[in-house]
Amino acid sequence: MDEDILTTLKILIIGESGVGKSSLLLRFTDDTFDPELAATIGVDFKVKTISVDGNKAKLAIWDTAGQERFRTLTPSYYRGAQGVILVYDVTRRDTFLKLDNWLNELETYCTRNDIVKMLVGNKIDKENRAVDRNEGLKFARKHSMLFIEASAKTCDGVQCAFEELVEKIIQTPGLWESESQNRGVKLSNQEEGYGGRACGGYCSML
Amino acid sequence: MRATAQWLHKMAADSEPESEVFEITDFTTASEWERFISKVEEVLNDWKLIGVSSGKPLEKGVYTTGIWEEKSDEISFADFRFSITHHYLVQEASYKDGKEELVEDALPLSMQDLLCMDNDFPPRAHCLVRWYGLREFVVIAPAANNDAVLSESKCNLLLSSVSIALGNTGCQVPLFVQIHHKWRRMYVGECQGHGVRTDFEMVHLRKVPNQYTHLSGLLDIFKSKIGCPLTPLPPVSIAIRLTYVLQDWQQYFWPQQPPDIDALIGGEVGGLEFGKLPFGACEDPISELHLAATWPHLTEGIIVDNDVYSDLDPIQAPQWSVRIRKADNPQCLLGDFLTEFFKLCRRKESTDEILGRSTFEEDGKEVADITHALSKLTEPAPVPIHKLSVTNMVHSAKKKIRKHRGVDDSPLNIEVLNTIMLFLFPDAADKLTNGSEARPSTSRNNPPPESEEYNLYSQFKSAPSDSLTYKLALCLCMINFYHGGVKGVAHLWQEFVVEMRRRWEKNYLIPGLANGSPDLRCCLLHQKLQMLNCCIERKQARDEGKKTYTSDRSPSGSSCDTGKAVVRSGGDYQKETEKERGEVGKSWESWSDSEEEFFECLSDTEELKGNGQENGKKGTKEGSKESANLKPEGRLHPHGKLTLLHPGEPLYIPVTQEPAPMTEDLLEEQSEVLAKLGTSAEGAHLRARMQSACLLSDMESFKAANPGCCLEDFVRWYSPRDYIEEEVVDEEGNRVLKGELSARMKIPSNMWVEAWETAKPVPARRQRRLFDDTREAEKVLHYLAVQKPADLARHLLPCVIHAAVLKVKEEETLEDIASVKKIIKQIISHSSKVLRFPNPEDKKLEEIIAQIMSAEAIIARARSLKAKFGIEKCDQEEEKEDLERFVNCLLEQPEVSVIGAGRGPAGSIIHKLFVNAQRMTESSDEVATMTSLDEELKRSGSSDERRLNLGAVADFPPPAGRELILRITVPRPAPYSKPLPQRMYSVITKEDFRLAGAFSADTTFF
Repeated sequence: MDEDILTTLKILIIGESGVGKSSLLLRFTDDTFDPELAATIGVDFKVKTISVDGNKAKLAIWDTAGQERFRTLTPSYYRGAQGVILVYDVTRRDTFLKLDNWLNELETYCTRNDIVKMLVGNKIDKENRAVDRNEGLKFARKHSMLFIEASAKTCDGVQCAFEELVEKIIQTPGLWESESQNRGVKLSNQEEGYGGRACGGYCSML
Repeated sequence: MRATAQWLHKMAADSEPESEVFEITDFTTASEWERFISKVEEVLNDWKLIGVSSGKPLEKGVYTTGIWEEKSDEISFADFRFSITHHYLVQEASYKDGKEELVEDALPLSMQDLLCMDNDFPPRAHCLVRWYGLREFVVIAPAANNDAVLSESKCNLLLSSVSIALGNTGCQVPLFVQIHHKWRRMYVGECQGHGVRTDFEMVHLRKVPNQYTHLSGLLDIFKSKIGCPLTPLPPVSIAIRLTYVLQDWQQYFWPQQPPDIDALIGGEVGGLEFGKLPFGACEDPISELHLAATWPHLTEGIIVDNDVYSDLDPIQAPQWSVRIRKADNPQCLLGDFLTEFFKLCRRKESTDEILGRSTFEEDGKEVADITHALSKLTEPAPVPIHKLSVTNMVHSAKKKIRKHRGVDDSPLNIEVLNTIMLFLFPDAADKLTNGSEARPSTSRNNPPPESEEYNLYSQFKSAPSDSLTYKLALCLCMINFYHGGVKGVAHLWQEFVVEMRRRWEKNYLIPGLANGSPDLRCCLLHQKLQMLNCCIERKQARDEGKKTYTSDRSPSGSSCDTGKAVVRSGGDYQKETEKERGEVGKSWESWSDSEEEFFECLSDTEELKGNGQENGKKGTKEGSKESANLKPEGRLHPHGKLTLLHPGEPLYIPVTQEPAPMTEDLLEEQSEVLAKLGTSAEGAHLRARMQSACLLSDMESFKAANPGCCLEDFVRWYSPRDYIEEEVVDEEGNRVLKGELSARMKIPSNMWVEAWETAKPVPARRQRRLFDDTREAEKVLHYLAVQKPADLARHLLPCVIHAAVLKVKEEETLEDIASVKKIIKQIISHSSKVLRFPNPEDKKLEEIIAQIMSAEAIIARARSLKAKFGIEKCDQEEEKEDLERFVNCLLEQPEVSVIGAGRGPAGSIIHKLFVNAQRMTESSDEVATMTSLDEELKRSGSSDERRLNLGAVADFPPPAGRELILRITVPRPAPYSKPLPQRMYSVITKEDFRLAGAFSADTTFF
């Protein structure tokens, strides 16, 4: 494992089928776009290390299938995620209207309540837009999420979305420090001192 | 180096340029003493204590409300180490800015403080603050605790060093030296200002010389010490505080005893008590009450206090303040329960080791016996099963234990075990034998679901407060404490596991668990039990299906109403992956077809008669024409809106296999396996394949339900957005809807197409089981069986903490204590951080338990005080509120002043408490005839009267502490000297007598 990696973060990508979740991920991890990307079955998984504010974070990104019939399977993977990217298709209003369902699902299956959420309106390169940017903005504000519009095809906003999300997670100390601290203790008791130091201000909140 | 330091000090001290001095000073032969002095100076310099001290007069009570800080350093005299410490009251920065003109010859602040009367007798302060009223001082004391400066010459040497250092630096902060043994708290010191000096002196004796036990004697010594030439002397100002200690709360017996366990199990509703945690202190958490009667401003001559007469009657004192002494770590029930339970976590032994090694060797036989016995009972019969089943379980366990360790050594008494099993499995009591009827029962006293309190389990990762897991945790906690400790725990756990197996084998649902897949927000043990219930439910459904099969009926019973995708259990995945790594390119058959296991074995053979297996097998590659002729199977209901594209028949939603329930450990295993495949295209492909079992199963079900269907039909149901419909105008000019698969579904040989081609029309009930309930149940049962008591305690600790927090909350609402509310909030936020992760650190768990214990102790103290002050008995609403406020202050502040002193409502109660205590001690000492208490009280109005009544007992015991502060401003040493503050503090307690004098003298005009 790399020495200089601050933390490993688990990120989820969820949203209705065909909104471009896998394409966003592919654009982010491989910087490519494939118009003929097969529909995801179950969950898929990609890893990427990024650097935000000089902190290196390893992202384990879980891409999920959007089909309703897969939903009984995918929420099991929500466990332990620190960040979630909720995607809708700006050219398909129905994908926007279903967002509430997805948030409910998150609420039910997420094991932590302080998970950082980001709303992404995808496919802004297309001409037949059906959801106004302001609507997305309003929805995000209502549910205290980060918001960005993006296009996996033209690359707009994709990098930025992931970076913002990671930065926000890193700024929320309880979200990730406690985990690394926990891991440190599991290794051996000698690490305890290190773990104690790493938790810094968090412990004093006691 | 030293020369420079000295040089700098001089510069700093005098701020006069000494550049004309070219003389070489030789420090090479400097003595240890000189070096010591220079080190002291250095430290004073570092701390910027040099020069004129400035500051505002102190506010009233600031010594209590303000913040005290200290700074320390170490210096040595030869090889003797001293610590030097600066104690100071933190003052607002503006005070130190010193915008007001610094008056050069103003008295040093400390000297002014000597006279300040606003901060006498601070409840919590350094002793030097209490004795001299200082806001700032420096102490030099031996660094090691058992070191002491004993000889007089050494003491003098130190004092001279201090004097020289102060003189050299111009520091105006008083500098003390601690002499003699530390416990004696003997200090001598000095403070220097411009032309003035204060000497701090001290006398400390074991026994009080007779002449100093009263005010007049102390005034004499004070005056003689001042030795002021003026006549007449201005009057001395006097502050007096007498402290009385109350230890015997005679009228009040602490009523709480540890609950009698035999009484608990005697009653029929014993279970109710098992679901509760005890609460409260077993001993009085308040040990003493200290009453301080204070006369803050007296002037010499106003009162008389000598060896024959005293005006100092505490009842008459203008100020009363009270403090309580809390018992250190009072024994409290809840705390004990928690601590003992937590200790379990560190046990190493396995259940077998505790109960006797060979228990499990014979287990098979034993279990067979039980099941045999039980099978008789569990046949549908109008016999309530509970008594029999429970006693039977108990008997079997008893038998086992008897074999290995003799009759009397059984860890759990049979009635206790009976009561617990009935409490845990109430369905045994109120249901007849048909176990499938058993449903989770909810107890009445729980917070309603959706409430914040109810949902605490998701924060603590425990279990809902009405669940079996939660109840089990409480029972184990109770057993651990009262019924044989770890042995009892091991015993109950063994019984519990046997009961779990019995339920699995007999198809009885486990009560007290929410339906459906394991709730990942709960602790793992709870998830495991839920998993077992899922398995039982499936098995029930299968057995049901065997008995009463109808072709329309869904194979998994009514619960399978909505079609759902399915995933296989984690174990399957692992196995499959290992297999697949070698043979990635293998055909679909490897995942989908397996002849040995079908979802519903029995009905399969029945079906063969009607439909014929060949059809099922042929259908695969023959295309839609032939399969269209098949009889549709496994339909759930018509889709309603959609029809098949080709035959135009209504599209039916098929019965599908239900999703496999997952516990978090399985899930973790599975995601690890999936993640291990890596991020390459191949890995992704393999990952998709591994997860396609459910897709394939659904496709097969779909094909069976809709003969003649095509992939487009399936996609329209399964992933509607992948079927794109467009309005186009055809050749004849008609507008028609034309639909096609989305581009991604049309990718050649993508997995959806591939799966579709492989899928055979097989209804769910004849498909291979995606979830092997038998195997999963066995896995769970094995998991349960191998848990050691320590594992169990770790699993259930969150539940116990959860219950403890609820208990503290419940008790707190009765008392309404702000500080406890705050602690509860802290506990919850702290716990939700600690408990959410696997294997929390012991230290953090201990902290949580300590917090709960402190909350319990505070509540117990509040109760004790409320009882003592008779708040419940108080009729007047207003008075009651005042008393409550007073009691709350007592709990939270170090010292509380009593409004109205001895005449206020709280004051009169305190008075009564003392009178009662006095009466009791007297009557136990001597058999004296006494006037009744009331009569006595009536007469208590006048102290003189009482005093005259020689036979009567005094209301108060002799004061445990007697403090006096004498102050005066007079010129010293000569009549024409500057008038300077003089002060003497004296304290008399049972153990010692101390005089602490600060005598100032004019060093210019003497």
